[in-house]
Amino acid sequence: MMRRRLPLLSLLLLALGWLWPGGAARAQDLVARLSVERVELSTTFAGASVLVFGASERFLGPGGAEVIVVTRGPVVPQVVRQKVRILGMWFNGPAARFPDVPAFYAVAGTLPAWRLLPEPLRERYGIGLDQLPLRSTGARGPAFRAALLRLKQQQGLWQEDIAPVAISGGRLFHLEMPLPSSIPEGLYRVEVLLVDEGRVIAQETLSFEVQQVGTAAAIAAVSRDQPLLYGVICVLLAILAGWLGSVIFRRS
Amino acid sequence: MQIYLPIAEMSVDAFLLVGVGLLVGWLSGLFGVGGGFLLTPLLLLLGIPAPVAVASGANQVLGASTSGMIAQARRNNVDWTMGVVLVLGGLAGSALGISFFAWLKGAGLVDAAVSLFYVIVLGTLGVLMVMESARAIRRRHRRAPPRRLHEHFWMHGLPFKLRFRKSRLFISVIPPLLVGGGVGLLSSIMGVGGGFMLVPAMIYLLGMPTAVVIGTSLFHVVCIAAAVTIMAAWQLGTVDIVLTLLLLAGGVAGAQFGAQMGSRLRGEETRFLLGALVLAVAAMLLWRLTTPPDQLFTLARG
Repeated sequence: MMRRRLPLLSLLLLALGWLWPGGAARAQDLVARLSVERVELSTTFAGASVLVFGASERFLGPGGAEVIVVTRGPVVPQVVRQKVRILGMWFNGPAARFPDVPAFYAVAGTLPAWRLLPEPLRERYGIGLDQLPLRSTGARGPAFRAALLRLKQQQGLWQEDIAPVAISGGRLFHLEMPLPSSIPEGLYRVEVLLVDEGRVIAQETLSFEVQQVGTAAAIAAVSRDQPLLYGVICVLLAILAGWLGSVIFRRS
Repeated sequence: MQIYLPIAEMSVDAFLLVGVGLLVGWLSGLFGVGGGFLLTPLLLLLGIPAPVAVASGANQVLGASTSGMIAQARRNNVDWTMGVVLVLGGLAGSALGISFFAWLKGAGLVDAAVSLFYVIVLGTLGVLMVMESARAIRRRHRRAPPRRLHEHFWMHGLPFKLRFRKSRLFISVIPPLLVGGGVGLLSSIMGVGGGFMLVPAMIYLLGMPTAVVIGTSLFHVVCIAAAVTIMAAWQLGTVDIVLTLLLLAGGVAGAQFGAQMGSRLRGEETRFLLGALVLAVAAMLLWRLTTPPDQLFTLARG
């Protein structure tokens, strides 16, 4: 469960407060914050969304600066298998292993990133699904890479420009980023870039933690730390449930 | 109602899982099969990762079969002696099957071998059962004189004879050990409990009465499913107890309804229905093997 979210407006006003602290300090190019520091995976978790918001002293929008937000989850290994046809039947065929891809990756901007930054810069900052360094072992071929991109996007775990970063009043921006229920635990880094005339002029790195809590966390911990005990508990619980069922539903 | 599964690391609809459990538990109570051959594909359809689906499925089969076994034991339909002999054979067969599986995997044949094997075993079993039970039903309608309990052949000359009272058998322990071992070998390769293979083997190879076969098979399934659950939790960490308990909420009830319905059916009718079900599963698998998949590529953790 996410922490209760403040109304959007008050968050944005808060951001304005950071931007001009009393008027004495030098105004900053970019200030960004997240609505949560922690996304909790409890037994009722069914997906969530994280609000990325902030402000800039530069004018935002057409004719001014633009904002790009890149989010990366923990790194996981993935295997992509191809089905092949043998004697009229379909079997699992060659496989490519991608040892270190982000479990979650989302890029969004006030405009699509390819319109805001030249390719060398997008490559340097890792902006855009086409710029992910996808090293693989095993079967070769661009089809495996394309399949990985397509399947991850279908699962909602890799997102590119599914919603734009919204601008209000030429100074404030915000992005509502959906997290599907299958996001894994770990540290998620959010990079907010302020872009003007094809250059990155300011950058802020934020992070939030995705963590199992409560019963779900306790179950995962026992399963990880005491696997044999966990197995015995699972067996006993199943037998108990079976016995209970035979008592409850018994008919004379 | 969405609920988060801590080991599968995703959320699913709780009521849907209870419904799936109900259906599979009903089959389990009716036919004495674990239902893993039906449960695993259903869980995969819901998007649950394959290792978690197989392991948690075995755990659910354990609970549902316990419920079914208790119901059968109350009707005095479990031959415990036969059950223990079959389990001993089954454990030896599973151990052999696991090393054979590792060899197949090394040779890169595993998917093709398992799928083909499955279709061939299920198809053959289904056809034989449907034909035999249809003949039995026809014979009953013609009021033919009852056959002998079973025919005697070379199997009955083997040594180490043991009396299986409930099964009304006095035979060598070697055939039940071999049956248990063979089913254990096949089921560890195919990743299922093997009830659907064990039931016909007990009926046709060992000559046990159908009513006793169901209860005894459930005892076998309980033991094998418990062993699989512990191994999977211990070595792989893929048992999701939340998933299991949701499936069981429906499964234990279903198993009781199945057992009640089964007690009203005649032996040959039960065999005919199980044969038809086995054939249907074989047909479904063959169809899935031969139609072009809608996704040519699949994604897994690894």
